[in-house]
Amino acid sequence: MNVRTGSTTSVDPPGWLRWTWLVPAFFLLAFMAVPLTSLAAQVVRPGTAAYLADPLPWTVAAFATVQALVSTALAVGIGLPMANVLTRYRFPGRRWALALATVPFVLPTVVVALAFRALLGGSLGSGFIIVVLAHAYLNLAVVVRIVGARWVTIDTRMEVAARTLGASAWTAFRTVTWPILRPAIASAAAIVFVFSFTSLGVVLLIGDSTTRTLESLVLRQTSILLDFQAAAVSAAIQVVVVGTVLLWAARQRAHNRGTAVRPMRPMVPQGSARWAVAAVATLAAIIVLAPVAALLWASLRSGSGSSSGWTLAWWSALFGADTIDAGSTRIGSPAAAIGRSLVFAVATGLVAAIVGGLSAISVLTGRIGRAFAIATAIPLGISAATLGLGTLLAYGRGPVDLRASGLLVPIAHALIAVPLVVAVATPTLRAIDPRLVTAALSLGASRSRAWWSGYGPALRTVMVAAGGLACAVSLGEFGAASFLARADGPTVPLVIARLLGRPGEASFGVAATLAVVLVILTTTLVAAVDRGGRRR
Amino acid sequence: MNNHAHLAVTDLLIGYQSPLHEPFTFTVEPGAVLAVLGPSGCGKSTLLATIAGITPALAGTIDIAGRDVTSVPINERRVGMVFQEALLFPHLSVRDNVAYGPRRAGATREAARGEADRLLSWVDLAELADRSIDQLSGGQAQRVSLARALAAKPAVLCLDEPFSALDAPLRARLAEDVLAVIDRTRIPAIHVTHDPLEAQTMTRGAGGGSILSM
Repeated sequence: MNVRTGSTTSVDPPGWLRWTWLVPAFFLLAFMAVPLTSLAAQVVRPGTAAYLADPLPWTVAAFATVQALVSTALAVGIGLPMANVLTRYRFPGRRWALALATVPFVLPTVVVALAFRALLGGSLGSGFIIVVLAHAYLNLAVVVRIVGARWVTIDTRMEVAARTLGASAWTAFRTVTWPILRPAIASAAAIVFVFSFTSLGVVLLIGDSTTRTLESLVLRQTSILLDFQAAAVSAAIQVVVVGTVLLWAARQRAHNRGTAVRPMRPMVPQGSARWAVAAVATLAAIIVLAPVAALLWASLRSGSGSSSGWTLAWWSALFGADTIDAGSTRIGSPAAAIGRSLVFAVATGLVAAIVGGLSAISVLTGRIGRAFAIATAIPLGISAATLGLGTLLAYGRGPVDLRASGLLVPIAHALIAVPLVVAVATPTLRAIDPRLVTAALSLGASRSRAWWSGYGPALRTVMVAAGGLACAVSLGEFGAASFLARADGPTVPLVIARLLGRPGEASFGVAATLAVVLVILTTTLVAAVDRGGRRR
Repeated sequence: MNNHAHLAVTDLLIGYQSPLHEPFTFTVEPGAVLAVLGPSGCGKSTLLATIAGITPALAGTIDIAGRDVTSVPINERRVGMVFQEALLFPHLSVRDNVAYGPRRAGATREAARGEADRLLSWVDLAELADRSIDQLSGGQAQRVSLARALAAKPAVLCLDEPFSALDAPLRARLAEDVLAVIDRTRIPAIHVTHDPLEAQTMTRGAGGGSILSM
């Protein structure tokens, strides 16, 4: 019956399942390895030395580093008190507050950029300050979730023990809690740095010359200057910086030591802590909701000063059949863009769920499978522009032109979403007791049938959930789509960016309305996935 | 460390919003052990937390070595605590855990480490000084915790069911260790337990002791 017994009772999977790794392997080879090779081929061509000697990409990298450092400091500075209050204290509405803190992370970058323009554009205009604020906002959840997950495992009595040994409250925090949290903070900071350093949507929409990133330089070199080699060199510099930061973060994580493995029960705040908790929780809610509220406001208001008033004009423009006139260029119908984005999202969800789900199954079936499942995480460390440019070089021109087929956008989105699917599906499948399969086998089921009885129900749920997440990623994705979408077939984030690129109240109003639609779609999807996950 | 202090508690009312118990009045002489015996939830640990300053007293006074410490902050009370779990700091080595108290008192790193080594030898763990704390067994961790509390030169030692997470042979061994250091340092100690046998053992040290049933 091919049953191994021992401390980890497991059953060999049916033969056909051992080949599941072929699907993610083909996908990674075709849509990650080939594009990256095409990109590398541009870098190793003669003339690269001259491009490397050009100060432009280095200047942009230096500016982006400063911007990303400030964004990271802000996100960590605001996120730490939020993590402390939301994960360690018990208060009415705590679960809502935690869910709310995740909202900025699931919002598409162009939506956040537009929301910050609606909220602060009047006073701050475009430039460094508003960009770093938007980056900090987008990444608050990274800090709250990563640092919070660590903080909640630190036994509160550890600080009490330090105090009985003579430490003041501040010294106890500085010498006990802070060093234990530091690897998690470093890890979160590295991720925020990478996101801010490779930001595209935000810097294009509300940035100026001081906030350029290598990502925006790559886009400009590709789409305006048509200098692919220069773009490839800029992308390569970015890959090196990002790789270095992620390696540093991995080393920090290696220092992560701890004895408390289980989360502590949240405390009821006492005395003055009650006021501090209430203040931080209220402030967190205001910080998270204000930009979204500003967006909704902008989608329902017209005019300025004394002539301003409520309007539904932007909402009716959304579903009007007319394309929006942008002077010399026509932007296309917003409703058509919504339809197109939804089709791309569903296609992305399907591809990502299948490829990601099969990768997760591969983890259970052997060493090769595990290796490919790990390899599916690589796109996480590669920016959207790098992937987009590579895909464009490999499949968007010359002999293999898939751009006209409309397939490139969902493929690139799936590549970005597959790591999320694997991250969601693998732990669930691993948590299933293999003895379920043994039990089914002992009842006379065939090997395939028994395997499906054990893993099938969870696999089905987790793939639907992960597919939903992939849909949400696709709906809001801006970077890869700006390289790969056809000029006459933009997605919603691209239409928003185009609308903001021209003056006029109507452009801003319709862009805000489209952004509200994206907020509703993405948050609904993520909330549905979250609910499904909790029920499971 | 031979400060020969004593602990005197007078009409001490413990609890959070309302009292958990009748007021306590007792004295613990230098080198003696007061074993506080009672079932779970009766307020034994709250009594220790109140003496250590972790929980404020509702009424009454706590006097250590002739000084009223009822309103003194935790870090200035000189009450050493050993908890049910060792609560060692995971980012520090065994030696640096023990050196933590002396460092807070202003000792140089070298002096604090020297003191730590001395105390680790008291509990027979000198050879483990360089280890990280996740390499310790439960009994070893609890002995490090005891050494750490002693290194801060406490005037009173509070032991909050320190053996409850250990198996029987280890309990006996650790009880011997604790009684030996109490005898050596002449620190008055309060030992909380729900085990009558353990309470008896802890009051049979050289300095004597008594049992307070709750």
